[in-house]
Amino acid sequence: MAITCPVNFDVKSLRKEVQSIYSRVADAPHGEFHFHRGPAYAARMLGYDSAELAALPADVSSSFAGVANPHAIAPLPNGATVVDIGCGAGMDLLLAARRVGPAGRAIGVDMTEAMRQRAAAGAAQCGLHHVDVRAGDATNLPVDTASVDIAISNGVLNLVPEKERAVAEIARILKPGGRVQIGDIVIGEVLDDTALADIDLWTG
Amino acid sequence: MISVFQSAGFARVAITHRYECFVGTTKERTARRYGVVGVNVSAVRGI
Repeated sequence: MAITCPVNFDVKSLRKEVQSIYSRVADAPHGEFHFHRGPAYAARMLGYDSAELAALPADVSSSFAGVANPHAIAPLPNGATVVDIGCGAGMDLLLAARRVGPAGRAIGVDMTEAMRQRAAAGAAQCGLHHVDVRAGDATNLPVDTASVDIAISNGVLNLVPEKERAVAEIARILKPGGRVQIGDIVIGEVLDDTALADIDLWTG
Repeated sequence: MISVFQSAGFARVAITHRYECFVGTTKERTARRYGVVGVNVSAVRGI
């Protein structure tokens, strides 16, 4: 399938820029970025349970850069298979793993190696052996067809120029009747050409 | 995003929560200008 983008960005370059920024977030989460990070932000502005976040490794929660709270949509049932698309350092992924329990599975997919390393190390540190962290991106998920109960994600689809392809991938991996619980950003008005061409608005 | 999920055959597509996730960041003014907010989106894959 051809890779398309609604503006004239080179999709490969955009993907590389996103990887670069989120590698920096993984390496230095307290650095200068144009978006919030960390557990205090997640609790104060997105309604996460601060006690739950405090129970996660700091290396996991400090690199959190989500924009909403997919866990607030509906509880993740015990025994469910959940995929976190663009799991980053694994904050939402490990919360999901705790909720589905060892009878379930929590699969994290991320294209940034530094983030995957944090997520996998965090799962091991927490003894969450039903967590599986895989390399991949939203347009080509390394997940079997019709194998997932719930797809979660947080602040990732807005970084993907090929949104139709990413949503088609979500449809492919979900079982019939499976749920989407996604946090992302929406825009209240049509963007002008200057805003559309601002790469900062695509990578944050 | 809602229309993308609907076009892909998802049912019960809805925004359930909104968050002012850019308040206090260097992009706060841009976010206000374009009405950019964080949202939770739920949907169900058709059977």
